Amino acid sequence: MQFFGGSEISPSPPVPTATGNNAHMMYIFNRNGVCLLYREWNRPLHTLNSQQDHKLMFGLLFSLKSLTAKMDPTNAEKGNLGIPQLPGQGCSFHSFRTNTYKLSFMETPSGIKFILITNPRTGDLRETLKYIYNLYVEYVAKNALYTPGTLIRCELFNTALDQYVRSIA
Amino acid sequence: MGREVSESCIDNLLMEMVSTYCNRFYANKPELAARRIEAIGYQVGHQLSERYTMERPRFTDHLEAIKFICKDFWSELFKKQIDNLKTNHRGTFVLQDNHFRWLTRMSIDQSPENGASGEPSIIADDKAVESMHLYFPCGIIRGALSNLGIPCAVSADISNLPACSFVVRIKA
Repeated sequence: MQFFGGSEISPSPPVPTATGNNAHMMYIFNRNGVCLLYREWNRPLHTLNSQQDHKLMFGLLFSLKSLTAKMDPTNAEKGNLGIPQLPGQGCSFHSFRTNTYKLSFMETPSGIKFILITNPRTGDLRETLKYIYNLYVEYVAKNALYTPGTLIRCELFNTALDQYVRSIA
Repeated sequence: MGREVSESCIDNLLMEMVSTYCNRFYANKPELAARRIEAIGYQVGHQLSERYTMERPRFTDHLEAIKFICKDFWSELFKKQIDNLKTNHRGTFVLQDNHFRWLTRMSIDQSPENGASGEPSIIADDKAVESMHLYFPCGIIRGALSNLGIPCAVSADISNLPACSFVVRIKA
């Protein structure tokens, strides 16, 4: 699998460094902006209703991706903005941090966007997001009962995700 | 020495096969779809058992043949053996696999917080789709056994995922 640099079935999960619920929320969007999954583990403040929240999040990330690609000083050709590329190729932003939280982002070549919001002291979560993408492939994409483009309601995926998120720093 | 195929390809092919037969070819006739899928499995099992018994002598009795299915045949197909074999010594065998490879990724839709929660019809539909996926392995077992000279009927039982049992009834 080119995406994971030729490792075996899945990249082994990064070594867990802390226990407890460190992640706040997680969003998964597909290419068309449909929110496939929204999981919340620790969110004290709700500001918008969920529809507006999802739209805002998707719009924000879309704009951020375009902005970072356009402002890239090293890349001469701008190419086609809006087309998903392999993570690490082209210019793709992967996280931003405020004083209260850190948002990590990964977009796959198929247009699935993973957003994970954690506490601000979290390190680089790119490997984590890759592992979560692998969980998605195994338990959602290969699930015969799941229709692509709809809300993810697969128990196996949710359980595996919860278990894994609990172990990241 | 054979050529290799990616496992994801096979998984997706099987899923598509079941969904095409159920939703397009025999849209409102699940029994016909089931029979077609089982017939495909029969052919596959027939040919696979030919290949995997090439160097072996004939089986002396039914139990030996079933044990072959449980151990060698299953390991060739699913990289593990059948976990539990029960028989009533009168022609019925129950083969139980605690972690059936083709079912490990299927999980029933969980009821979300917003509306449309766990209606019995939705859960029944999911169960129906899952049982459709089992007709193919049932056909494989039936094809393999009939190639070894043992006509039988095979059915599957998924009361607890991801374990599933295949009930083989040998025709006297």
